[in-house]
Amino acid sequence: MKIEALGIEHFYGHEKVLNGVDITITPGSFTAIIGESGSGKTTLLSILSTLLQPTFGNVQYDGKILSELGNIDRFRRTNIGFVFQFHYLISYLTLRENIALGAIEESRVDSLLESLGISNLSHRYSDEVSGGERQRAAIARALVNAPSVVFADEPTGNLDSKNALGVYELFREFSLQGTGFVVASHDKKIADYADVIIEMEDGVVKKVYK
Amino acid sequence: MITPLKALRKNRFKTSLIFVSMSVSIAAIFLISAISGGVVSMYSAMLKTDGDIIVTQKGIADTFFSDINRSLNDTVMNMVGVKESSVLILGAAPVDTLPIVGIYGVSENRFKSYSLKQGSIPSQGEVMLGSKIYETLKHPKTVTLSKKEFRVSGVFKSRIGFEDGGVVMNLVDAGELFHKSASIFLVSLNDLSQSDAVLKEVNLLSSEIEAKTTENFIDSYNQFKIIKTSSDVIGAMAFLMGILGIVSMMSMVVSDRKAEFGIMRSIGLSSSTIIFKLLSETLIIALAAYAVALGTSFGILELIENADKFQGYINGEITVTLMINVLIVSVVMALVGTFLPAFYASRIDPMSLIQRGGA
Ligand SMILES: Nc1ncnc2c1ncn2[C@@H]1O[C@H](COP(=O)(O)OP(=O)(O)OP(=O)(O)O)[C@@H](O)[C@H]1O
Ligand SMILES: [Mg+2]
Repeated sequence: MKIEALGIEHFYGHEKVLNGVDITITPGSFTAIIGESGSGKTTLLSILSTLLQPTFGNVQYDGKILSELGNIDRFRRTNIGFVFQFHYLISYLTLRENIALGAIEESRVDSLLESLGISNLSHRYSDEVSGGERQRAAIARALVNAPSVVFADEPTGNLDSKNALGVYELFREFSLQGTGFVVASHDKKIADYADVIIEMEDGVVKKVYK
Repeated sequence: MITPLKALRKNRFKTSLIFVSMSVSIAAIFLISAISGGVVSMYSAMLKTDGDIIVTQKGIADTFFSDINRSLNDTVMNMVGVKESSVLILGAAPVDTLPIVGIYGVSENRFKSYSLKQGSIPSQGEVMLGSKIYETLKHPKTVTLSKKEFRVSGVFKSRIGFEDGGVVMNLVDAGELFHKSASIFLVSLNDLSQSDAVLKEVNLLSSEIEAKTTENFIDSYNQFKIIKTSSDVIGAMAFLMGILGIVSMMSMVVSDRKAEFGIMRSIGLSSSTIIFKLLSETLIIALAAYAVALGTSFGILELIENADKFQGYINGEITVTLMINVLIVSVVMALVGTFLPAFYASRIDPMSLIQRGGA
């Protein structure tokens, strides 16, 4: 799915944090968004992934703006995955239940648990597993409906470098199978995995390269 | 149904708060409706015993104020279609240490409607006590009624609380006590189809009196309307308090769980699915609270009925209709109380929900 942001401006109250962003995410690509803290990465990612409505401008998905996509929740469920810096697993559900919560096809849950190497932990709760395992479960949740694109906001921010590399490897694996990734990160290593790097500064795109 | 139970267990503290406040509201609705319904139905039952038609003073608001000439009853008794007609004087007076007790002066032919437990029916200077008041006064041999002493001739049992906690005497004594000839006539008919004819005939008898079918009388009886209206008002207030309590607590719950709902939205669960999840959570609480409130209400009513202090006057009745009505009220209360905050949260962007709420 091709995603195009056109003239995005966003305000939190009176504070303008995105000041005219125009970018295109090509289908199946691995895009990295980098930039200093406060430059607007999270805000942009939220808007691209339909989790936040921009104050001005719009985002097109294969040429269609949000209001033309019909039920937005259903669109999000089938097309978009999101991985947060904090795992945000629901604490009263087991890892498996967390992943199955939004699953359209229950059958994918177990194969994902398997391929992410956490099938032996599937009946544990999030506070009973390690940080890296939690993040794997969160990634499985994002991938469960085989979305065309997964957005990840500092997915390795809470992990040590070994676990962080594991996450990037996982992304690469799924990326090779055709899932698009848009990853915001401070981590310079992300550049090794990305096809495109978008650099943000003070609410605008400073440059796009590679 | 597994998810709502897990969520409820996770949020134990607030779940219990909501549960307790709902139980209290529901029990309040039960009790006020049951007690007021009990009062109305007891009085109705008393009037309906051998009374298809009731005769009172014309235009009177309350049977206690009614004053009619008891000699008219002789004519009524001989009317075609009339099986029996008895005369009652209804009053209230202090009895021994009890500040206010229902006193019933009745004509001879009505004594047979009381089931005598011991002793005999009262002749002049004597009274017959309901079993409840007999117990309360600790088996007295005599009682003082408005400064006059009466011998206790017997004890009767009545399932009507007013009567069981009351004093029955003959018409002559009651007439002297309350300075009236009669309060009401209770007329029973051979055949209900004759009621129109009998009503007409009685109403022609004197311009001072008015005859109505007992059903009709009860429906239009002012005291009942007042009792019913006040109980409805108190019930509605309990209902509103319940809703407000649930709204405020569910707002806290929703606010605590913003991130959770934001996450659910981010993985594509629709707002309506999430609202539905929340509604099923409160519905479970509501049903549990209903069950507990029902049990508690039965218990409290049992206690009140047997408490000496109330002399059996308060006699709650939880009918099936009341149970169904209160069940509907409880469910509505839970659903409305939850829907408002849930709907409000559903209008917020998922990302804002996640950022504003802790996990
Ligand atoms: N919910 C919010 N309300 C108000 N201001 C916000 C909110 N979220 C972010 N901001 C502000 O908007 C600006 C951009 O924030 P954003 O989170 O998009 O930056 P970022 O590039 O993701 O930073 P970081 O690398 O620290 O995560 C910052 O100045 C931040 O303080
Ligand atoms: Mg950020």
